[in-house]
Amino acid sequence: MALNRPTAVIGSAIMVPVTSDRLSLEEILYEVTQSALKSAGITIEQIDGIMVGSNDQVDGRAISIMAASGSVGGVDRDILSTPSAGEHAFVMGVLRIASAQFETQLVVSWGVTESHSLSEVERLGSDPYFHRRLPQDELASFAMQANVLKEAHPHAEGLAAALVVQNRLRGAQAYPGAIGAPQTAEQINQSRAVRWPVREGMVSPPVGAAVALVLASEPFVQKAGIKNPAWVRGLGWATEAAFLGDRDLATAPALQEAARQAFVEAGIQGVHQVDVAEISGATPYQELLSYQALGIAAPDQWAEVVSVAKDKLAINPSGGLAAVNPVFCGGLLRIAEAANQVRGTAGAHQKPATQSALAHAASGIAMMYQTVVVFNRDL
Amino acid sequence: MKNPRVGIIGIGQSAFKPRRDDASYPDLVREAVVKAMAGPELEFDDIDAIVYSLSPDAMVGIGNAERLGVDAVGGRNKRFLRINTGGATGISSVAAAYYHIASGASDCVMTAGADKVGECGDSQTVLNKIWDPIYERPLPLGTITMLAMSAVRYMEKYGMTQEDMAHVVVKNRYHASLNANAHLRKTTTVEEVMNSRMISWPIKLMDCCPQSSGGGAMVLASEKYIKDRKLDAVWITGLGHCSESYYIGDRMGNGFTADHADAFALKGAFERAYRMANITDPQKQVHVAELYAPFSNTEFHAIEAAGLAGLGESISQLKDGRFTLGGEIPVNTSGGTLCTNAIAVTAMIRVAEVALQVWGRAGEHQVKGARVGIANGNGGDHQFFGTMVVES
Repeated sequence: MALNRPTAVIGSAIMVPVTSDRLSLEEILYEVTQSALKSAGITIEQIDGIMVGSNDQVDGRAISIMAASGSVGGVDRDILSTPSAGEHAFVMGVLRIASAQFETQLVVSWGVTESHSLSEVERLGSDPYFHRRLPQDELASFAMQANVLKEAHPHAEGLAAALVVQNRLRGAQAYPGAIGAPQTAEQINQSRAVRWPVREGMVSPPVGAAVALVLASEPFVQKAGIKNPAWVRGLGWATEAAFLGDRDLATAPALQEAARQAFVEAGIQGVHQVDVAEISGATPYQELLSYQALGIAAPDQWAEVVSVAKDKLAINPSGGLAAVNPVFCGGLLRIAEAANQVRGTAGAHQKPATQSALAHAASGIAMMYQTVVVFNRDL
Repeated sequence: MKNPRVGIIGIGQSAFKPRRDDASYPDLVREAVVKAMAGPELEFDDIDAIVYSLSPDAMVGIGNAERLGVDAVGGRNKRFLRINTGGATGISSVAAAYYHIASGASDCVMTAGADKVGECGDSQTVLNKIWDPIYERPLPLGTITMLAMSAVRYMEKYGMTQEDMAHVVVKNRYHASLNANAHLRKTTTVEEVMNSRMISWPIKLMDCCPQSSGGGAMVLASEKYIKDRKLDAVWITGLGHCSESYYIGDRMGNGFTADHADAFALKGAFERAYRMANITDPQKQVHVAELYAPFSNTEFHAIEAAGLAGLGESISQLKDGRFTLGGEIPVNTSGGTLCTNAIAVTAMIRVAEVALQVWGRAGEHQVKGARVGIANGNGGDHQFFGTMVVES
C-alpha cells in the first residue's frame, strides 16, 4: 500500500566509532542529536516527535529509552522506542509523519560496547529451553547461515574474502580512521575461524556508535526550503520465524518480502533501478545472501559483483558492516548512508549524481528482522 | 489532511493471575491473540502487520523476548516490530498500530504481548535497573519508593490522607470483583487497607498493584476494511504521548522542572488527545475512564491530569462516589492497574477496557450509555505518558 503522504530525510549525523571514553551515553546522544539537527538546519523546537531504537541488554539498563529522553529532547515531547531494531525506529518515524499527526520526527539509535560480553548478551536472547544451551550468539547464527549457504552454493566460500577486501577498500575512503591495516584475501582466509567458516578477518569488531536522522513531511520540507531532501519512496519490513529450526537459512524470505513491499511502493521493478545500495552483511556470506534476496545478483552472478563494481549500481560505498560494525544501530547507519548519498552529503565516498538509493537493514539472530528503504532525490 | 478513521475490531485478554504455570510465555501471547481474532472472525492471513508489546525483557528473563512471540502472533514474513515505553508500552503499542493504519501502510494490524511479572522473582529488583547507574540507582529507587515520594508531595500540597488512598483501593477492588479477568477480585474495606503492612510510607501493601501474569491483544483496522467486511468497531478518535524528565531529582527540591505531586506530562498527553478528538470539556464529554494508577495515590493526580477534576479536588469527589460505577464519571471500572498489572500489556488493557465500555461489551462492570472513553498508560519512572480517546 502507498503511504498517505511522503516523508523525507532532511538531516543526519553518524558517530561511528565512538572512540572517546570521556563521553557518557547521554553526552553522545546529545551530540549526535544536535549534529543531525544542524545538518537539517532546524532546531529541536521544530521537532514534533522522537523515535528511539535502543536495546536494554546492550545498554545494561531496563527501559533504556529513559536515559536517552533528556539528551535527545524527549522531555515534553512524544517519544517512543523500538527495542526490536534501530531501523524499526526509522519505520515508525516514517509512519508517524505519513499519518499526518506529525510534521517532523527525530530518529535516534545507538549501541555501546561496555557490556562484559556482547556474545553473552546475545545468547540470553535465545529461548531458554531449546536454543540457549547451544550456546548461540549472533555470529554463531551467521556462521550456521554461512554453512548452509556454502552447502547450497559452494562457490560462496571462494568469494567471501574477496568481498571483504572490496568492502574494506571502500570503507577506507568512507571511514579512514576506523579501518585497520589492509588485508589480502589470502590473509583473511588464513586468519583463525571465529565461528567456522567465518574467519576473524571477515568480520569487523563491534564498535560503539550513534546515528540520528531528521525526518519531515512534504509541507515542512517546502516551508523550510530544504534543498536536498531524500524522499522515502519505498519502505518494507518483515520478520523471519523465531526458531532457527523452522527456517531454511540459505534463503531470506523476509528480506524478499521487505524488498517486495518497498519496490511496489516505490513503483520500481527492482533494485536495478536504483543507483546506490547500502547492504547489511555482518559477514560476507550474509551479504551474498542479501544480493540474492534483493535481486542484486543471483548466486551464479555473485562473482561478477564481487570482482568489479557494477556500472549502474554502486554497492556499499561506505564499506558496509565489513568496514565498521556498530552495535545495534548498523541498520540505521545503512539508512543514513543511503539517504546521505541521495542528499549529496556522503562526503569522501559520495557517488556523483546519485538519484536514488536503497538501504537494507538486518537485525537479530541470522538476520531475523529485515528492512528495505528506497530513497529518491525527487518526490 | 483529514484524520483517517482507525477502528478497534478485536480485543483479547487472558485471565490475569499471580502465576501461569500452565502456559509458556508464547502460549500466553497466543491465548490473547486467539481471543482477539475470534470476535471479528479473522484468520492470520487477514493481519498485515504486528506491533509487539513488551516492556523490560528482564521481566520474562529473555533478551529481545519479542522474537519468541513472532510465531505466537502469526508474524512470520509479515511487518513486525516491538515497542517499549515501560509501563506505557501497551498504549504506545496501540498508538503504533494506529500509525500503521493512519499512514496508509496497513489495513489490519494486531498489537499483542504478554508478561509474566508474577513469575519474575521480584519486579522491584528489575525496575531498580531503570535508573541511572551512577546517581539514582543506588538510593535505592523502585517504582514504589518513587511514587511514595509523589504521594508525600501530594499530601503536602492537597491534603491527601492515607484513608483517602484507601478509598481508591476499596473502589477499585469493588470494580475488579465484577471483572472476571482481574487479578485481585476480593472486595475490601478502608480498615483492611489501613491495617495492611507498610511498604514505603505512605504506601501500604494494599495500596500496591499485584505482580500479574497474562496476555493482551487488540486488532485495529482502517475504516475501509471495516466497512468492506461489515465489521463492528469502536473508534480511536484521539491519541497523544508526552514525557517528563528522567531524573527524579529534577522533579523535587528548589527549581524543579515539574512537580512530582502532579503529572504534568500526562496532562500534556491528554491535551493532545483531546485536541484531536475535539474534546473541550472532558468533565462533560467523557463517560468512562481507565487511568493507569499502579498505586492508589496516583489515581488522584491521574484523574486531575485527565481534566476530570480540578487539582486536589479528586480526593473528596472520589470519596463521594463520583468515580465509582454508577457515579458521574466511573474511573477504572475494570479494577484498573491497582488490581491487575502484567506490565507489558497493562496499558493496552486500559484501552481495551474503555473500548469494551463504549462498545457496550464490558459485562458486569458496564457503564450504562458510555459512548466516549479515555485511557492512559504511564511508563519509565513516571516519565512516559500515552493517552487515547475511544468512541462508539
